Amino acid sequence: MFGYYIKLALKSVKRNPILSLLMVTAIALGIGACMTTITVNYLMSADPIPHKSQQLFHIQVDSWDPNNAYSDDADSLPNQLTWTDATNFTLAKKALRQSAMGMSGGIIEPAGDDAKPFEASIRLAYTDFFPMFDVPFIYGTAWDSQSDTDREQVVVLSKRTNESVFGGENSVGKTIVIDGRNFQIVGVIDDWQPMPKFYDVNNGGFNETEQLFMPFSLKEELELPNWGNNNCWKSPDGEGYKAFLQSECINTQMWVELPNDLAKAEYMDYLNNYVMEQKKLGRFPRPLNNRLSNVMEWMASQEVVEEDAKMMMWLSFMFLLVCLLNTIGLLLAKFTGKSSEIGLRLAVGASKADLFKQHLLETALIGVMGGIAGILLALVGLQGIKSLYGDFVDDLASLDLSMILVALSIALLSSILAGLYPTWRACNIAPASQLKSQ
Amino acid sequence: MSDTNQSHSNTMPFSRIPFLPLLRTLIRQKYTFTMLVLQIALTLAVLSNGLFIVSQRLDILQRPTGIDETHTFALTSSGFTQSFNPQNSIKADLDALRQMPNIVNAVATYAFPFSGSSEWDELQTSTGQDEITVPAASYKLDEHGIEALGLTLLAGENFNTNEVLWQTQTTKTFPSAVIITSKLASDLFNTTDWSTVVGKTIYINATYGAVIKGVVEQLQAPWDAVGKIENSIIYPRVITRNSARYFIRTQANKLQETMVEVEDYLATSNQQRMIRKVQSIQTIKKQVYGPDIGAISILMVVIFALSIVAALGIAGLTSFNLVKRKKQIGIRRALGANKTDILSYFIAENIIQSTCGVLLGWLLALGLNVFLVSQYALPKLPLSYVVIAALCLYILGILAILKPAIKAMNISPALATRDQ
Repeated sequence: MFGYYIKLALKSVKRNPILSLLMVTAIALGIGACMTTITVNYLMSADPIPHKSQQLFHIQVDSWDPNNAYSDDADSLPNQLTWTDATNFTLAKKALRQSAMGMSGGIIEPAGDDAKPFEASIRLAYTDFFPMFDVPFIYGTAWDSQSDTDREQVVVLSKRTNESVFGGENSVGKTIVIDGRNFQIVGVIDDWQPMPKFYDVNNGGFNETEQLFMPFSLKEELELPNWGNNNCWKSPDGEGYKAFLQSECINTQMWVELPNDLAKAEYMDYLNNYVMEQKKLGRFPRPLNNRLSNVMEWMASQEVVEEDAKMMMWLSFMFLLVCLLNTIGLLLAKFTGKSSEIGLRLAVGASKADLFKQHLLETALIGVMGGIAGILLALVGLQGIKSLYGDFVDDLASLDLSMILVALSIALLSSILAGLYPTWRACNIAPASQLKSQ
Repeated sequence: MSDTNQSHSNTMPFSRIPFLPLLRTLIRQKYTFTMLVLQIALTLAVLSNGLFIVSQRLDILQRPTGIDETHTFALTSSGFTQSFNPQNSIKADLDALRQMPNIVNAVATYAFPFSGSSEWDELQTSTGQDEITVPAASYKLDEHGIEALGLTLLAGENFNTNEVLWQTQTTKTFPSAVIITSKLASDLFNTTDWSTVVGKTIYINATYGAVIKGVVEQLQAPWDAVGKIENSIIYPRVITRNSARYFIRTQANKLQETMVEVEDYLATSNQQRMIRKVQSIQTIKKQVYGPDIGAISILMVVIFALSIVAALGIAGLTSFNLVKRKKQIGIRRALGANKTDILSYFIAENIIQSTCGVLLGWLLALGLNVFLVSQYALPKLPLSYVVIAALCLYILGILAILKPAIKAMNISPALATRDQ
């Protein structure tokens, strides 16, 4: 029976080719627009480190201006830490793993006469950064904690940097020249691009992973330039780089790994005690207000998903709705036109349920065709987004299998929903009245 | 009877539309009618809000910055050896650049509109911690800055060479003279007579006093951190770092060749540094506004597709109704209705449908706007956008039914009534 209905449905679709094309196009456009925006939103709000996102916490403490909260909201906290506090928290080692981190950059001079120097971004971190975020290594390992303490000039390269400087071979143990200083390579990491780049969303939530990693303690030792966001409520006391580092300016991020609620509660106590101690020294003039946010909480509070992306998603939902109303209207018209045929089939013994199934199948067929065309349109749409927003959204604009399934189910479900009412109406006609007028 | 008929045939189209039968027909097809009205209403809601967002973004894109955006470019010079002397390098480079015939002027600055990085200072007109302060983006330029950026000095005068301080990033010495934008002047002194502002003293970050030496018409902040993009203050300072940024203004029509020329010259003049990011200000502007341009493009595609879908939907339904009503139209024609009557009937029907859709859509548009306002800092939707979108939909509706309506008009009464 199913095969027969499919045959009937195909026949009916073919009988009004323009009308059918119209319906398929409408569904395809709606699905295409929705899938494009849903994909972008889905990838923007994805969990970048699913197996651990509940155990990683970003630290916030209120070190801001006594007279003004960090932003308009009186409860708001600075989104970064001062160099002093982040360094103190890391050295206290109160969590399972911890790392203060910041951004810097330098110019790499590859060996060889014709090799051109190039600029590289640097992530400054403690050795815990690598095991805490499960960073994969191709060669070597992270530096050890002794290097952090001794401020050794060691460096971990990204896969791409290793390829452009050493042609991709094992470079562990070799030396690389950065800003005229020699650094020893201890490891090379594999491709690693958390999306969003949760560990530092202040400096671009979808930016590329840095090209070099080196001990955070070198920032003070070598007076490395401060890249990325720096925010001050009070200008540094005194002149020079040291005064800048020790100022109340916030430019450092800090993550800790806390395996369970108990560890989290204990860490919170530690933070509160720390701030109370600092208050005695005249720092932290605002009321006690500290916060630990896990990965997803942190990304929600920092509004990583672009407002534009959300707005576009809502508009595309409305667009799909218009397309579906369009389809409902056209189906109503089409099935009304078929009333004499339906009347005839009812008269020769088909049950209403049979006819209902048959016509629902027809709408489902249109839905599937619209869904497939919609996926193709979404691919075009995502290409369009890539060309509009440039390379940095490359990882944000790709369709995976689950999204394709979502697209097909939305198309199928919405077309069946759209078809329910016209079908029900079509099957509820009195056969006699339809046959009479022939 | 025949007299009335006579007078009818001489009247204008639309003058004898059978309104009651028309309404009755619409009510009989209440389901298709409802679908059509809902579709028009939703289209109106999306269309008016979409157009509004587009125009908001276009306003941002077209807003002037106060600088010469068309004949300027920027580049970064990064010294990478330990013996590199940034101050000597900047001085030598700027001297050489200012000699080049195609260059109007050049200046070393990290901040310029669209550069994205800026520092903000709090300014006040008298000393003390509790005064009301006005935020301003800080520019550090030497005496060539005004010409290099292409600013217009409204009152007072430019810095002179011996006022300019060459400093490192963390030096605390403050210059004694500053130039401010006219918007900042009016925020601080509540006046538009710029000459009265010149010579007054302002206090920066509650600490440093400086005398206002000049007022420029406009210079937007590099980055709108606090919603005060027109507030800028220029200090006569040059900050020396290993990585310097030059802002260069060229003669008209010489931008492209000068960019190449300058890059070649700088790359060979000093081997202890590298030249990067040689980009015209227009290019940088496009990057900064990339997301807005993207949003505009996407919205335009959606608006266009939506209009097409709506038009096709209306056309499809009208043609289908036409098939059903072929017989009735034939009878009406046989009973004396002329072609214009049939055409105006369809147009009137369409206008009634569109009107119902527009009325409902107006409410939906306001509802959608209330939602967007509450979620995403969007201003209130002005009525004009609803009106424009409604007009578009009326025109679209009539265009959509034109083909089926003309087909209906040409139905021959004899043929339509024969196949009984």
